[in-house]
Amino acid sequence: MSTPPLIHEYSAFFRIAHERRVIFYYVGYFSQNIVAAMAEAVKLQLEVSGVGSLTRRKLFSSFIEMAQNIIHYSADALTPGNQDTHELRHGSVCVSEKDGEYVLLCANPVRTAVADDLRRVLEPLRSMTLEEIKRAFRESLRAETPAGSKGAGLGFLTVARDAREPLEFDFQPLEHRPDTAVFYLKAAI
Amino acid sequence: MESLYIPATASSPEIRFDFDRHALSMRGESYPENAAAFYGPLIAQLRAYLEGCRNDSVTMDIALAYFNSSSTKMLFNIFEALNGAARAGNTVVVNWFHDEEDDTILEFGQELSDDFTSIRFVDQPVKSA
Repeated sequence: MSTPPLIHEYSAFFRIAHERRVIFYYVGYFSQNIVAAMAEAVKLQLEVSGVGSLTRRKLFSSFIEMAQNIIHYSADALTPGNQDTHELRHGSVCVSEKDGEYVLLCANPVRTAVADDLRRVLEPLRSMTLEEIKRAFRESLRAETPAGSKGAGLGFLTVARDAREPLEFDFQPLEHRPDTAVFYLKAAI
Repeated sequence: MESLYIPATASSPEIRFDFDRHALSMRGESYPENAAAFYGPLIAQLRAYLEGCRNDSVTMDIALAYFNSSSTKMLFNIFEALNGAARAGNTVVVNWFHDEEDDTILEFGQELSDDFTSIRFVDQPVKSA
C-alpha cells in the first residue's frame, strides 16, 4: 500500500520535531490570553516529561519572559503601536531537550534600529557572571524604568539569571523588508 | 475605607485588601500583560489607605507562586509603600509565602526585607505539593 501523500507530508514535519526533541512549539500571533493558555500547556508538558521542579520553574519563567517580549515588541503587530494592552503580535517560541538539558528559543521581527538597542543590552550580559547578573537585576529594580520599556527593563536579566550558559542571540536580515530583521534569542536552561 | 477585591485570573493574582480590618493579601500567579496597568490603581489605593493609618497593625500576606519581571518591580513599589507606613509608626507585618524549594522567590523576599527594614518580614516556606 502506498503512503497517502497527506500523512507523508505531515510525518516529515513530525519526524524533525521528534529528532530535535521538541517539547513545545508555537508560531503565530501572541496575545496575553494565548500566552496564559500556552503557559498552562508548557507547565503540564514539563511535569509529564518528568523535568525536575527547579528546572521547571526556570523554564516556565524564561518562557513567560520570551512570550511577553513578543507581545510587547514584535514589529509584526495587528494592534496599533501606541496600544499597550490587548496587544497582538507575531513570533514563535520553541522548547526542546538535548541530552537532559533544555533549550528555549524565540524569534520575532524587529525594526533595524531596535536591533541595535537589543544588541547593546544583550551583548554585555554574555560576559557577566551570575553574581554580576544578580547585581544588575538589583540595580535595575531600583532604577527608573527605561524609556521604551513596557516592563521594567528586567526581562533579559531574569532570563540570563536562569540560563546555564550565556544567552545567544542573532539577527537575520529580511530581503523584502530592509528596515526589519528577525531577532532570535536562545536560552539554555 | 471600602475594601478592594479582585478575583484571580490565569495570569493575575487574587487581591484582597480588607482595609477596615488592616488585612491585605495577594495570592496566585502574577504575569499580567501590563503589570503597571494592573498594579498601578491598586498601589494608589494602598497608598491612600496607608496614609490614613495611625498606630495601626497592618498585615500583608503575599503568596505568589510565580511572578514575572515586571511584577517584580511592582512588588518592590508595594514594599516601599508598606515600609513608609511602618516608618510612620504603624506595625507592618509581611508574611512571605513561597514553595520551600523556590530559591528565587525566597531570595527576592530576603532582598526586599534587607531593603525595607521597618517592615516585620516573616518568611513562610510552604512544603512542595
